[in-house]
Amino acid sequence: MKCTEINELLPDLAAGLASAPPGISDHLHICNECAGKLEEFRKTMALLDEWQAPEPSPYFDTRLHARLREEAARQPRSFFAWMRRPAFAVSLAVALVAGVSLFEVRKIGHGHPTQVAETSQGTSQPVQPGTAVSDLQVLDKNQDLLADSDSDTASDLLDDLQVQQDVTANP
Amino acid sequence: MWKKRKPESSDVSASKEGTSASTDSQQDPQLSESNRVQEDVGSIALNHGLLAMGARASTAVADSIAGGLTDADVMLRVKAGDDSAFDYLVQKYRRQIINFMYRMAHNSAAAEDLAQEVFLRVYRSRANYEPSAKFTTWLYRIATNLGVNYARDTRHERPENVMNLDEPDSETGQAQDLADKTPSVEEEILRRERLAAIKARVEALPERQKMAVLMHKYQQMDYRQIAEVLKLSESATKSLLFRAYETLRTELKEFV
Ligand SMILES: [Zn+2]
Repeated sequence: MKCTEINELLPDLAAGLASAPPGISDHLHICNECAGKLEEFRKTMALLDEWQAPEPSPYFDTRLHARLREEAARQPRSFFAWMRRPAFAVSLAVALVAGVSLFEVRKIGHGHPTQVAETSQGTSQPVQPGTAVSDLQVLDKNQDLLADSDSDTASDLLDDLQVQQDVTANP
Repeated sequence: MWKKRKPESSDVSASKEGTSASTDSQQDPQLSESNRVQEDVGSIALNHGLLAMGARASTAVADSIAGGLTDADVMLRVKAGDDSAFDYLVQKYRRQIINFMYRMAHNSAAAEDLAQEVFLRVYRSRANYEPSAKFTTWLYRIATNLGVNYARDTRHERPENVMNLDEPDSETGQAQDLADKTPSVEEEILRRERLAAIKARVEALPERQKMAVLMHKYQQMDYRQIAEVLKLSESATKSLLFRAYETLRTELKEFV
């Protein structure tokens, strides 16, 4: 029996998790080095015992039960949600499409004429309800155009004018 | 004529913004409405599991345990929808998991949060549970992963070796009445120094050595169990533990 063979048994022997098999026991009786090491391991283990963990708080169970209930409630709900999701997604999509088309219809019927009024006839037209929106849109558009015409060439400006005309010509 | 397109496209995006804003405001109440309905359905369906999850242990489960059910068997009952069976497992392992997490987090509040997370994860995976490994192996693997991640994330925030005798223990939250309970303040200071050294030396071990020591020393787990949790061979685990204790023996020599 070599001393190194005992090394890996030392943690369990020192912790009292195992008792030495006969061969090892015999060796420990005749080898001072191994016996000494085992004793040091035992002392180290005893020292490590000083690190005690505090008692669990009395609220641990209460809090865990609350979280488990939440978790339990989530599972069947996710099942229902799973069942409902396709239908819900379809209805959401329908609502979205309806919203977009409604808005588009409103824009074609209402938005563009006011823009025409703002851009081509401008001041001659009386202020209509909802023109604040068209004003903002026109302002946005003008800012876009200004930002785009940073090259500051005549052709750019002509293009911009062309755009304005196109917009007013095709409501 | 790309510029001709531009105002048109900005028009389109403006109208899109308008619609999405309006649909959002229309959809929101609907969403919360349907969520509430689903929650109600869920809580009705769960009322009996919820009651079973209280402090009282289900006698059926207790009887089965007495009849020699393994933890894996109990976990299979959890999988089948028996929440009281899960409560049995929580009661059985709660303390050791909290303690295990405490020695990784060095903070009792964080340890309890982490332990709760361990049990929540076990509960969440109940549907996929297969008793391929021992229940405790699975439990400690989850705990180890969480603890290691926590230790990594908070490495720089934790004040190791800090000894402030005037303040309550930062780890346990317990006040320290030195003069009252100890024969000598000096002794208490020495005790604290020892404790700080133990924590610091264990903490300074390589990650796997540290986990192995925590499981071996403080959870009384054997080589085989530790090997399974760490996914190592038994002989690799033995030498890992020997090296860890050998380091601790050397570094803590002045305190023994
Ligand atoms: Zn020897």
